[in-house]
Amino acid sequence: MAAKAGATPATYSPSPTTNKKTRPPLFTDVDWVRPDGRDFHQCRPAFLRTGAVNAASGSAYAEFGNTKVIVSIFGPRESKKAMMYSDIGRLNCNVSYTTFATPVRGQASENKDISSQLHKSLEGAIMLDTFPKTTVDVFALVLESGGCDLPVVISCASLALADAGIMMYDLVAAVSVSCLGKNLVIDPVTEEENYQGGSLMITCLPSRNEVTQLTITGEWSASKIHEAMELCLDACSKLGKIMRSCLKESASTSQE
Amino acid sequence: MGKTEVIASVKAELGRPSSSAPDKGKVSIFVDCSPTAAPQFEGRGGEELSMELSAALRQCLLGGKSGAGAGINLSSLSIVDGKVCWDLYIDGLVVSMDGNVLDALGAAIKAALSNTGIPKVNIASAATPDEQPEVDVSDEEFLQFDTTAVLVIVTLTKVGRHYIVDATSEEESQMSSAVSVSVNRQGLICGLTKRGGAGLDPSVIYDMISVAKHVSEQLMNKLDSEIAAAEAMEEDS
Repeated sequence: MAAKAGATPATYSPSPTTNKKTRPPLFTDVDWVRPDGRDFHQCRPAFLRTGAVNAASGSAYAEFGNTKVIVSIFGPRESKKAMMYSDIGRLNCNVSYTTFATPVRGQASENKDISSQLHKSLEGAIMLDTFPKTTVDVFALVLESGGCDLPVVISCASLALADAGIMMYDLVAAVSVSCLGKNLVIDPVTEEENYQGGSLMITCLPSRNEVTQLTITGEWSASKIHEAMELCLDACSKLGKIMRSCLKESASTSQE
Repeated sequence: MGKTEVIASVKAELGRPSSSAPDKGKVSIFVDCSPTAAPQFEGRGGEELSMELSAALRQCLLGGKSGAGAGINLSSLSIVDGKVCWDLYIDGLVVSMDGNVLDALGAAIKAALSNTGIPKVNIASAATPDEQPEVDVSDEEFLQFDTTAVLVIVTLTKVGRHYIVDATSEEESQMSSAVSVSVNRQGLICGLTKRGGAGLDPSVIYDMISVAKHVSEQLMNKLDSEIAAAEAMEEDS
C-alpha cells in the first residue's frame, strides 16, 4: 500500500468507467432485493404536508423516499390581456428542477415536456368553469429527484389545489410502475429507472375510478398491462386515502 | 392518410455519443407543424402541438431506458465506442391536417427509415485513445437500415360512448379523449399515450388496447407492402 501511495501521478491513471460498469443488470433474477429493501409491490412511505408556502393561495410539500417536491398554487388570477376571453378558466403549469436535484449537477431541460404532462393530468380533474376569465398557476419545484418524479409532482399538485380551495371533481393520485426483466416494480427509484425495460404511469381519480392519463414506454404484452394497471389502480386508491387524511388533518389543526 | 399529409425525412451525421451511453448512437425526433396545414400554426401557435407529437413519437420509437422494446436499435448506430457515433435526425413536417396526424407521422417515419441508407464507415487506426479517430465516410456503399422492428401507431378517439379509429378533424373536434397505441410486429405494446382531459374507465382502456392491436396488424401489413412496392418502383426508374 505504501508503495502505491508513493507512485508518481504520471503512472496512476484513474479509470472513470469503473463506477458505471460494475453494475451488471442483475434485474433478471427473480429474488433480487430492491436497494431500499422494499417488496416489489410496495410503495415508498409518503410524507405529505399542506400549507408549506405562506404567500401562495395553496401549497403542498411531498416527500416520497428521496423524491422531494414542493408545489404552490397562485390564483385564480386575472388572465393576461393578450389572451382571448374564455368562459372557462385556464390552467398554467410549470415544473422546474433545482440545480442540485440530480446526482449530476444541472438537469436536462425536459421541463416543458413534464409541465405539459402535469397539465394534461390535472385539467381533467379541475372544474374549470367555476373560474372563467381567470388563470390558475401551478408551479412545481423538484428539490430532489429520487425516482418516479412526475407521479409525485402530480399527486402533490392536486393536494396543493385542494389546499387552495380550487373546485375539483376528485383528488388526482399518480403512480408509476417499472418493468425490470420479468418483474413489475412499483414506485421505482432512480437506479431502477435507469435499467428499466419499460414504464407505465397512471394518474387516476381514486373515488371515481377514472383514468385521466396513461403513459406507457417500452415493450409490454397486453396481459402485463392488465396486471400493471390493476397494481397501479390499487396503489392510487391507497394514495388517495392518504392524501385525504392529510387534508383532514391540516383542516382540523387550522380550526383549533 | 385521407387528407392528412405529412413528410418525414431522416438525416444522419457523425457525432459524439453522450457520456451516459457510450455504445449507443443518438436519435433526435422533431416534428414541425407548418402554417400551410392550418392558420393557427403560424409563428408560435403550432409549437405546443409539435412538442406533443415529438414527445409521443420519441416515446414510441425509443422504448424504455435500457433500450428494450425500442424500434430503432441504438447500438447499431455506434461506430467507435465512446468516440464516434451516428446521430440520426428524424424530422417530420405536417403539410395538411385533417385529423390523426400522429398515425400518419408514424407511418411516414417507418417508410423514411426503411429508405434510409447509412454510409459505410472506415476507421483509420486511432493513435492514442485520446485523439479523435479519423473516419472515412464512403460514398458508394450503404447499409440498409433495419426496420422490421419499427412500429405502427394507431390512435383511437373516444367520441361519446364509442371509439373510432383514424378520426378526421371534424371527428376530432368532438372528441373527449384519445388514446394512441403503438404496437410492434410481435403484437407487444411499445408505447401508449392518452390525450385529452376526460377520464376513462380502466375497462374501456383494456378494450381500446385490444382493438388497437387488431387494427395495427392490418395496418402494418398494408404499410409493408406499400413500402416494398414504392422501393421496387424507385429501383426501376
